[in-house]
Amino acid sequence: MALIQIAEPGESTTAHQHKLAVGIGLGTTNSLVATVRSGVVNTLPNTDGQHLLASVVHYGENHIHVGSDALQYSVSDPLNTIVSVKRFMGRGIDEMATEGAHYSYEFINTDSAVPRIKTRAGNLSAIEISAQILKALKVRAVDTLGDEISGAVITVPAYFDDAQRQATKDAARLAGINVLRLLNEPTAAAVAYGLDTGKEGVIAVFDLGGGTFDVSILRLNKGVFEVLATGGDSSLGGDDFDYEIAKWIVSQAANSNADSPAIKRYLMQQARNAKEALAEQAAVEIKIDIEEFQWTGTLDRDTLKTLLTPLVKKTLLSCRRALRDAEVDKKDINEVVMVGGSTRTLLVREMVSDFFERELLTSIDPDKVVATGAALQADVLVGNKPDDEMLLLDVIPLSLGIETMGGLVEKVIHRNTAIPIAKAQDFTTYKDGQTAMAVHVLQGERELVSDSRSLARFELRGFPAQVAGAARIRVTFQVDADGLLIVSACEENSGVEASIDVKPSYGLSDTEIERMLRESMDHAEDDMHSRSLREQQVDADRVIEALDSALAADGEQLLSAQEKTEIMQARQGLLDVKTDSDKEKIERAIKQLETTCDTYVARRMNSNIKTAMQGHSIEEYATDKQSAAEET
Amino acid sequence: MSEEILTSNFFQLFGLPVSYDIDLNQLNQQYLLLQKQVHPDKFVSGSDQEKRISMQQTSWINEAQTTLKDPVLRASYLLKLKGIDFNLENETTKDAAFLMQQLEIREQLENVKSEAEPLDVLDSMAKEISTATQTMMADFVKSFEENQLDDARECIRKLQFMQKAKIEINKLTAEIEDELLL
Repeated sequence: MALIQIAEPGESTTAHQHKLAVGIGLGTTNSLVATVRSGVVNTLPNTDGQHLLASVVHYGENHIHVGSDALQYSVSDPLNTIVSVKRFMGRGIDEMATEGAHYSYEFINTDSAVPRIKTRAGNLSAIEISAQILKALKVRAVDTLGDEISGAVITVPAYFDDAQRQATKDAARLAGINVLRLLNEPTAAAVAYGLDTGKEGVIAVFDLGGGTFDVSILRLNKGVFEVLATGGDSSLGGDDFDYEIAKWIVSQAANSNADSPAIKRYLMQQARNAKEALAEQAAVEIKIDIEEFQWTGTLDRDTLKTLLTPLVKKTLLSCRRALRDAEVDKKDINEVVMVGGSTRTLLVREMVSDFFERELLTSIDPDKVVATGAALQADVLVGNKPDDEMLLLDVIPLSLGIETMGGLVEKVIHRNTAIPIAKAQDFTTYKDGQTAMAVHVLQGERELVSDSRSLARFELRGFPAQVAGAARIRVTFQVDADGLLIVSACEENSGVEASIDVKPSYGLSDTEIERMLRESMDHAEDDMHSRSLREQQVDADRVIEALDSALAADGEQLLSAQEKTEIMQARQGLLDVKTDSDKEKIERAIKQLETTCDTYVARRMNSNIKTAMQGHSIEEYATDKQSAAEET
Repeated sequence: MSEEILTSNFFQLFGLPVSYDIDLNQLNQQYLLLQKQVHPDKFVSGSDQEKRISMQQTSWINEAQTTLKDPVLRASYLLKLKGIDFNLENETTKDAAFLMQQLEIREQLENVKSEAEPLDVLDSMAKEISTATQTMMADFVKSFEENQLDDARECIRKLQFMQKAKIEINKLTAEIEDELLL
């Protein structure tokens, strides 16, 4: 939390300490945690030597099991054994019902915007269930590394929308994990690939997992990973392959007893086994023996091809669109990197290879590569590699827009725009004396509100009454580096900051999260308090230390006498309360000092940039071929 | 390089001359260089204030790059710097002959799917529009350099039509290609 750390990013004023940071690949089917130790990146195994943690949570009579321990209850206790919970993240009740057709859960609509799944342990949101998986990974990391972790990079499908990203971040919060960054899965894979091979140029990452599909086109150049475009489908994956096979089994067996949760779950498992066997052999015998359902038959590769081709074709359409958006021709792609467990299916490899007209890179471990890339970024983000040139530049996968007259969507930020990005939009009033207005934010590419995904409704209040049309309310849509949207509003004529009530369409409210946090907290509240007080005191020391070293370096050049006096006053203000037992007091004093230093910090950043830019000639950064954006 | 990222104009930001003709290669290199300095990833353990400034600066740099990369956005930004600030959406030309021509293009596009070889038709339309766009761009540059700003503004109004037509052609081409694939 150093106040001014800009002079040498990543270098602290005190002796450098190695921080423990991890990368977490939170998958539909399996999850992993990885870290960099002594310069080497590795995924961490459990005590049995297993690296993959099955993304399954079983709510038993007395225990919550996660991983393979939970998976064994999948058929015997299907309603309390939640598999593929990632598919329900950030979803509404209708979408959950569609997605849930594969698994037969009981969904409950509540007062909250977040639907619940009914279990023995109560009605649980996907966020809470996901948090169990994250907790298990955290415990594994802490046990293996022998110390608390300072933060984690958690991967999400590139095609996740705002609600799905927010849900993932909320789950991490519930699990007590400090999220350094939400990283797009194909970007993470590109980092692992790029750093491993040292290759540069344009690559395509084809990432087909258990429940999600992404394709990203990236340019790799001197440590910069620049995403040119991304596309995908956040509800298409290996689970859907299994579902097609399960439906085929039911139709072949002409059995009408396939509706019980246990049978459904059993059929999905048998289907998955058959699919995996067909990666090795030409045909597989399937034997169904559960309750009133007995059948034996053979599935061969040709039949599998017929079943899966329509799904694989959908992925190819996304590839084609991503190439178009990136303005990259197939022949300009240097490598097609295959990621995700479902790229083991031969049909996928064949069809993708035909589409890109080349051999694919299938040699990297499709399960581990994403967590590995996330760990590499985490290591850089916490400052363990101060001289590292690595930089990831990502994009927003889906356009953001607002509702206008007639149920139409006006795009404010277009898909594949580099993030962070901010766009302002002006609104006016249509009635005399109007002092409030509603803004409906949507995400997606379609033109009608009814076809788009509702993110939130904002109510702007408290701007001064004027005649109709006179008010000018400027709403700023800011997308941060995690791909999350932040909205702010201001009435331009009066300068009044309008207050915003956010009603997320699918997210948890702050109160809900707080309640869940309280419930899940292992520590007593006193513990929490003294801990956060200590943290605040340490923060105060750091802030003062950083300020002193900054002032020593360039305080004289960058500040007027007046400005310096003001800063010193604020510094004294913090010194005075630093040992106080009131956490809020210290927090306010830190805020006060930071605000006073605003201009100083900005000047330091700018002068630092200036120095850096002067230090390099343009030629050093050359060789990059600019796409022909000039030709319209 | 300017002192203040958030107050410099987009050209200054990338060390480029304020001109329609810019070196896109230099734009991209300077863009990456700036990103390496200000991107939020560099401030993960920084204060909230540093994080906020970094996010604002990165957003501004991204906006600047998007604007300068696109010829029409770049052209209208040049006019904006001359004090002609207009909302592209609300601008429209009154040149009747030009509008008539645009209507014909629209009609042709609406019916293109019933053509025997729609992709060929779209391809040749795209080429025509590309040629016309380049002529119009040259007109813009000439008017702008001679400081005939009203003429320059008229060029941008027309260019917008051409760009929309081009987007429509690309969209239809994509749709037809996708249908062929499925």
